[in-house]
Amino acid sequence: MTLHPQAAPARRRRSRQQRRQLALLLILGAISLFTLAPLLAVVVLALSPANAPTLPHALPDSLTFDNVVRIFDVGEFPQWLFNSFVYSAVSVVVILLTASMAAYALARKRFPGRNVLLWSIVATLMVPMQATLIPTFILISRMNGVNTLWGLIVPTLANAQAVFLIRQFVRELPDEIFDAARIDGAGEWRTFTRIVLPLIRPVLATLAIFVFLWHWNDLLWPLIVGQTDEARTLTVGLATLNTETVSTANIMAAALVSFVPCLVVFVLLQRHIVASITSSGVKG
Amino acid sequence: MHSSPPAVAGRRSQRRREALTGLLFVLPTLVIFGLFKFLPIAGAGAMSLTRYRLNGDYTFLGTDNYTRLFDDPHFWESLGVTVSYVLLFVPLIIVVSLVGALLLDKLVRFTGTFRALLFVPYLSSFVMAGIVWSWIFDTDGPLNAALDGIGADPVAFLSGDQLTVLACLAMVSVWKGFGYSMLIFLAGLKAQPAEVHEAARIDGANGLQAFWHVTLPLLKPVLFFVLVIETIIGFQVFDTIYVMTGGGPNRASYSLIYFLYDEGFKFFDFGYAAAIGVVLFAVVLVLSLVQRRLVEGKDAS
Repeated sequence: MTLHPQAAPARRRRSRQQRRQLALLLILGAISLFTLAPLLAVVVLALSPANAPTLPHALPDSLTFDNVVRIFDVGEFPQWLFNSFVYSAVSVVVILLTASMAAYALARKRFPGRNVLLWSIVATLMVPMQATLIPTFILISRMNGVNTLWGLIVPTLANAQAVFLIRQFVRELPDEIFDAARIDGAGEWRTFTRIVLPLIRPVLATLAIFVFLWHWNDLLWPLIVGQTDEARTLTVGLATLNTETVSTANIMAAALVSFVPCLVVFVLLQRHIVASITSSGVKG
Repeated sequence: MHSSPPAVAGRRSQRRREALTGLLFVLPTLVIFGLFKFLPIAGAGAMSLTRYRLNGDYTFLGTDNYTRLFDDPHFWESLGVTVSYVLLFVPLIIVVSLVGALLLDKLVRFTGTFRALLFVPYLSSFVMAGIVWSWIFDTDGPLNAALDGIGADPVAFLSGDQLTVLACLAMVSVWKGFGYSMLIFLAGLKAQPAEVHEAARIDGANGLQAFWHVTLPLLKPVLFFVLVIETIIGFQVFDTIYVMTGGGPNRASYSLIYFLYDEGFKFFDFGYAAAIGVVLFAVVLVLSLVQRRLVEGKDAS
């Protein structure tokens, strides 16, 4: 120690730093536990055996998938699950494709009315969905789309965020790539599918997550357009089950089934989320 | 070497081809937006001036729906509920997500893990969040069991007085939503230049002083951004109310969108419901313009 007079304070500083990091980890651990507790409660309640003591008074002795299996016999549950999958999956694919095409044209092609169209689309971002709920419902109902899957899906395909966000990405692609494609004799469609789409994959992945979550978890529009038992989505079905007299175990099993796809999508694509929120948030 | 006339013609036809491909590529979006965004926006304004029936029959009323709305005690009641809810929800979600971001920002290892863990509730639907928290707030639920454990009286969280009910609803939305604004704050913190913080430390500022005088002022644009988007989200509250209280007890949680929903789909008063939608749009528009003003003012200075 006497040989290295600098070492002692440095070591002390380092150990203080380590203590602070440990405290930080403990605090964040406690917060995470508190945040995740309701979700853990769903899992435990959904997997508790029937007629056995469970939360909030006791922890179950054993866990079982009985409730989860049985929920598929309640009402039109499998149909709700199917509707939710179609609603979310079709929306993701169509929104990503049409918005990318539009974004490519709006960023790279000159055509009459381009700026008017771009600003009209951006301006709709300020109109909340609830403000156009009634006319959209009337429109779909006059087109005989109430209680149909297409009636549910089609109005939600106009997604201004998707067009706007993808356009920002396409605009930043270097001109040389497009010149090279032209020299190679690639047609417009080929340039779009082979060059643009692969290059904007990060933003597409992010949008895929958010569009999936928005549609899967959506309540108001599916509630209004799907009025029969068979036409409901899982989220609407979950809300309906909650008002009917089903057991806590059943409703929690249904909630768990509704949550798993969101968790899977998140785990698969989560690194994209941080990047996108980072860029969209700070640039405002 | 080209002679000039064919080159001009070539350039012109090339420009025409560019315009044609551009139009073809925006065509699907143009059709979808035309039918399901632009048309309903115009429709909302037009319908709000009529008494409208589902079969398409309507009577022109002029501004009657609006004068009726401003005379309707239920409208003012639902606006009051919504504003109270926003005043509870927005400060709470800002504080929670900012604290989360500040802690994550200081963390050296396991940042990704904790960022993901705290984001997980955002993945759930408001319906699922409402169901779980209804169970938590239930008279026989874990919260009251805990109160009982320490010898306190049970609390009627969702069936008691208005402030308690709205606070519970706000809490659920904070739990579900804070992960998103936390990541926005975290990005804002990461973007702050390290030298400024270094300088503050050299000047002898302690943690709290550095936060007040350095971190927070630098974070202002991000703070405004989050403030406005969370306020807009707060004004649209519906799902948790639909699941947890049904607008009750005694209309204590009867929000603006609940009012719109009832007028439209319980009483089928479509013109009136459309007018409520237009009022909501006006509120959101003002908030967006205020935000734009604040952000642009910041850039200019």
